[in-house]
Amino acid sequence: MNTIGTHSGVVAKRVVLNLDRCIECGSCASACFTSHANMPAISFAGAGPALLPVVCRQCNAAPCVEVCPADAMVRDEQGVVFRRLFRCTGCGSCAWACPFGVLSEQGAGVPTSIRSTDRLTGHQVAKCDLCRDRVTGDDAAVPRCVAACPAGALVFVDEHQAPQARLNMLGGRTTGDNPYKRR
Amino acid sequence: MPRCTLCPAVCELGLTRTGPDGWRTEYPLSEDRCICPRGSAIGDLVAHSRRILSPRCRTEGRWHSVSPAEALDRIVSRSRGGVTILLDGNLPCEEIAAVAAWCQAWKAPQLCLVIEPADEALLLGTEASGAEYLPSSSLADCDAFLVIGGALGANPVCARAILDRRKKEPNTPWVVIDPGAGVAAKFATHRVDCPVGGELSSVLAVAGAAGVDVRALGWSSVPQTASATAAGKALAGCKKLAVLLAAEHGRTSLWREIGFLAGTLAKTLGGGVAVQTAGANALAAVRMASALGTVPLAQALSDGPAMRVAVGCDVLGMLGWAEEGTVQAAAAPLPNRTTELAEVVLPLALAAEIKGTYLVDGSERIQTWPLLSPPPGVLTPAGLVEQLARRARVTTLRPSPQPDLSARVAVKPELSPSAVEDPPTRALLLGRQASHAGSGALTGYGAWQAAACGEPDVQLSIEEARRMGLKDHQPVVVQVGGRSVRARVRLASELTGGTAVLSEGFAQTRALMPARFDRSGELVPARPVEFTIGGEPSASK
Repeated sequence: MNTIGTHSGVVAKRVVLNLDRCIECGSCASACFTSHANMPAISFAGAGPALLPVVCRQCNAAPCVEVCPADAMVRDEQGVVFRRLFRCTGCGSCAWACPFGVLSEQGAGVPTSIRSTDRLTGHQVAKCDLCRDRVTGDDAAVPRCVAACPAGALVFVDEHQAPQARLNMLGGRTTGDNPYKRR
Repeated sequence: MPRCTLCPAVCELGLTRTGPDGWRTEYPLSEDRCICPRGSAIGDLVAHSRRILSPRCRTEGRWHSVSPAEALDRIVSRSRGGVTILLDGNLPCEEIAAVAAWCQAWKAPQLCLVIEPADEALLLGTEASGAEYLPSSSLADCDAFLVIGGALGANPVCARAILDRRKKEPNTPWVVIDPGAGVAAKFATHRVDCPVGGELSSVLAVAGAAGVDVRALGWSSVPQTASATAAGKALAGCKKLAVLLAAEHGRTSLWREIGFLAGTLAKTLGGGVAVQTAGANALAAVRMASALGTVPLAQALSDGPAMRVAVGCDVLGMLGWAEEGTVQAAAAPLPNRTTELAEVVLPLALAAEIKGTYLVDGSERIQTWPLLSPPPGVLTPAGLVEQLARRARVTTLRPSPQPDLSARVAVKPELSPSAVEDPPTRALLLGRQASHAGSGALTGYGAWQAAACGEPDVQLSIEEARRMGLKDHQPVVVQVGGRSVRARVRLASELTGGTAVLSEGFAQTRALMPARFDRSGELVPARPVEFTIGGEPSASK
């Protein structure tokens, strides 16, 4: 097992949001933006009055890889699904295919993606690569969005350890009758 | 280690080159540290395309480049009738001390340390209370929390310790007093019903219910509400209370009283205060201003010499002022409201390019190292004032002792126990957010800040937005009197109807509610104002 924790060719460690800790400060998106050539791979879900970050789940059977007509979306030897920048034509097939709306220019009906103003990358939808440059080879390292999170809401966990941390892969839970109130 | 000095968290920074002129700031690799959007933006500011790199002057409304010597001469020639240096108070202590020494040798200038007026008032209150300043690391040891204002927006980093404590002890009381319904309100175990402008009354009620003898402090009547009584009783049983405060512009003018009362409450309940100022060295500025005998901002702006030079601070943007002739010369790393309205503009080093000492948590001195050297020809604030003094033929500098940073400001502030502020029916407040404020100018120049937060948000309650037919993210125009600003609607579940909260970190939002002088000539932070919201115009003012 390497640092990202491969199980049968797919990643075992994923970025999970604990809804009960997110203070909606945007630190994750900012860190992602500055470290990925102004192409933030974090989308936001407008959950009513809350605007919560949504990070790629690195699907075991990734629809974005299946549908990409240019073979730009690929899985590396660690299981990380990433986008090859110079193969991407910006067709948007991956965005249509993504079941979680992470690869999307729209979230909850509102434009939430922050687009690069660069001529090459400005039309492309960014893709989370789990900060391979930072995480590979360093057991203690975590993706930049996780490291940046001041509240400890984003965590980088093994899917088998997540239940012990009272997290499921869809994140933490909100309380009773008010879905926006944190515990 | 280089650090971000934009708030009291002073997060460690690493710098990575991303191209010929590109830099990226992030937390050091493999460190379990965090960094908010303000810290992430610093790398963008170092080589920003709008960075001021050479002096310029404005003559008959037109800007033209001048040599550094000519720009300095223009200032010095007009300083013979006296000059006021308005120095950013959030600079390292050594820079402030060096500027003070050169001003003393020059004799002509009077020095004013500029920090947010609301921060200054709040700190004077906490200083007078004698309360301990809590470091972030000790917050997790506290068994109750009182958050006043948008403290988590001012310093997102302090959220982690509180959340860790809550995870360990789920029943930990977390009381929130915030008419602006910042994000802490979503986590509160006890939310005190606080009308706009009613922070002091709410703190008074909570303190009274928690066992503080507020009558002995001078408040004869103690307002009581059910929510404040419940919150006070929840805090009363704690052994160590942490009071987190953020003094926001456009909320109330009674921050000094609030700071004093909150500090007294914290002291009574065995804890302390954590003041989330805009900038890391505001407490040092308050203590150094007292020790150095600098002039207050109100005095510096209301009378005295005709020549005012702003060094490193966007004083006009901060106050929401837009009058030409208030500040004649401005030195800044990036354009801001003050440089727009000055007649002489000089380049200046970013705070991230200056090494020095910051006073954090009341007693800890933290050394920061520059991320990079300033660009060629760009001076530090002390270097600039030295050049001005030398142009005025000052040749020798008598070394002066470093002010004692551990000495509290001993002056007990005059409290206004009977002060009551009547808010307008529909009140517009300003609220602090994790981006923008303090990046050298009020307006963020960082790439993410410019792309994601290029316009201010205006938060409305869900009911009010529905009543007005407004949706989340809808562009609108917020109007106050004859002034207006474009903003995006954001729904806020915890906000009460009739209240709107506009992002604080923009010069244009502050211009809607500028700071004013009161009857005694004191400069007071803005208070909430009446507002209207309309559809997006074809062109906003």
